[in-house]
Amino acid sequence: MRAKNDFEPKIAEITAVKKECSDIYTFSCRLRNKKDKIEFQPGQFVEVAVFGVGEVPISISSSPLEKHNFDVTVKKAGSVTEALFKMKKGGLIGIRGPYGNWYPMDSFKGRNIVVVAGGVGIAPLSPVVEHIIAHRQEYGKVWLLYGTHCPENAIFNARMNRWSKNGIESIATVTKTCDMKWNGEVGHVEPMFEKHGIKADVAICCGPPRMLKDIYVEFNKMGIKDGDIYFSLERMMQCGIGKCGHCNIGRKYVCMDGPVFRKDELNELTEKIWK
Amino acid sequence: MAATHDMNEKPAFYTIKKADFGKFFESLTRKYKVFAPVEAGDEHNFRQVKTVSEMKLGNYVNVEFPPKKFLHPNGLLMMEFAGSRVRQRAKTGKIALFGVRPCDTHALDVLDRVMTDGYVDAYYKKARGSTLILALNCKSAGDECFCGSMGTDKAIGFDLLFTETGNGFHVEVGSEKGHSLVNNKLFRKTGSPAAKAKLVFRKQINTENLEEVMRSSFSSEFWDETAKRCLSCASCTSVCPTCYCFDVHHDAEPSEKGIEKVNISRTWNYCMLQPFTRVAGGEVTRESRTERVKQFFYHKLLYGKENQGKLHCVGCGRCIRECMTKIDITEEAAKARSEYESKK
Repeated sequence: MRAKNDFEPKIAEITAVKKECSDIYTFSCRLRNKKDKIEFQPGQFVEVAVFGVGEVPISISSSPLEKHNFDVTVKKAGSVTEALFKMKKGGLIGIRGPYGNWYPMDSFKGRNIVVVAGGVGIAPLSPVVEHIIAHRQEYGKVWLLYGTHCPENAIFNARMNRWSKNGIESIATVTKTCDMKWNGEVGHVEPMFEKHGIKADVAICCGPPRMLKDIYVEFNKMGIKDGDIYFSLERMMQCGIGKCGHCNIGRKYVCMDGPVFRKDELNELTEKIWK
Repeated sequence: MAATHDMNEKPAFYTIKKADFGKFFESLTRKYKVFAPVEAGDEHNFRQVKTVSEMKLGNYVNVEFPPKKFLHPNGLLMMEFAGSRVRQRAKTGKIALFGVRPCDTHALDVLDRVMTDGYVDAYYKKARGSTLILALNCKSAGDECFCGSMGTDKAIGFDLLFTETGNGFHVEVGSEKGHSLVNNKLFRKTGSPAAKAKLVFRKQINTENLEEVMRSSFSSEFWDETAKRCLSCASCTSVCPTCYCFDVHHDAEPSEKGIEKVNISRTWNYCMLQPFTRVAGGEVTRESRTERVKQFFYHKLLYGKENQGKLHCVGCGRCIRECMTKIDITEEAAKARSEYESKK
């Protein structure tokens, strides 16, 4: 038997491509070898290889209850994702992982949770919401607050509707309506806490760095302790297994110690996540 | 890893005469590709040699480029993807490195920890397992050397450790593989360890509570001054024996019948370079030179100890020698300490 090699991707077939908006697509995938499985926890990521172009770390956006099929929701942002956007149903990609840590869903039991997503940050948080819905009685009040620039970029409308019907108070806001029809809120996510009377004990957040910084102020105001604030961070995780060194924040590896970090853990690091 | 020396067993010491050493060397080249220091210009570097006369020690202090290139090669072809399958392509041959200095044996220990703790880097592990480490004690310290203060002046993890004597070498066995190499008429058993040369160092780092010192001076302003001198050329990281960071590349190669073959390889990359932390969309997390300079020095003088239980600086002095603007890790560590002392 050949020795295990963590750099060797498993081959997956794209089974469907869904255009969420102009620059965000969801790729549904199935592992080619029926013996292969993807068992993941909410918050974990995979390394997606577009052969001939490269690999990128992408969070899984489907339900963790699925084992053979999985979705990755991808924003077109670089050479690999640009190449991925050109791929069609039946195309082959490479998958390694899942890697990284996850949201400690058990430790949130019985508590009120606010989930804050910015832009494509809704994708890694989707498995969190699905997990809560699958175990709805075990958690307290749950809010999902989702902010994007324009209605055009607001994805996962159908999921949001389903989540609303399943005991998640889902609030979507855009910074501007861009002259489009929009039923949700307008403005940044921060004022939505007061407007919707959000009083959470635990905060889970994934979004651009500036948003994390601004939203942290709101979490503080609400009295959420740093030990109850969870951020999912993005770095250039090339290898995913703590070797290539690109994703260091101080002594930590985002690929191994993260991508999910508690704010109090981040406070201990020499390097800071925002200036 | 390569050394499986049982520490309970007493060290086995041997001697070999100069004339016999040549024979030993030739027997080695029959089983291994042997690399030894060869003087070229102002530097020594590992070159493949067939006979001992090709090895040119001269005033050998250390090789310019450390042994990491044999275990974690820059530009390693890892895999290929063709016909909807991935195949492993890394080739590993048996090699012997003669003349590895004690500091660099510690650097290999650091790399072993990084590459095989937790997830195992299969390429590194395989190369390490097929590499013979024939260490060579130093006769004198180089101008930039400071292993004496780092606790890395005593070789570890070797198969054999050579010490030059007047008429040949003293040899210490460090592994099972090493035992099999000395089990012949060329080597004579001796009861005593090698007489170690007294090394005089011009540089040092005070490692006492270094972790606390480094943590306390992360926001100190002297780092900005250091960064102003840094050219972001990454010479320091390229010659550092413990720097291991890399990029993974995919290169599409059109073949006959138009079916694409994709070569998947890796090349070294360096935290001193600005694009190192660039994420999709273009954001760079360590945009300023100060942040990048600090990442290098903190990885060497703090994070390694925190993560792998061993400092990632082994006192080889290469980064000092290569730096075009004379940035000196021992001076930076001293500045950090004086900041720490002034805050007390």
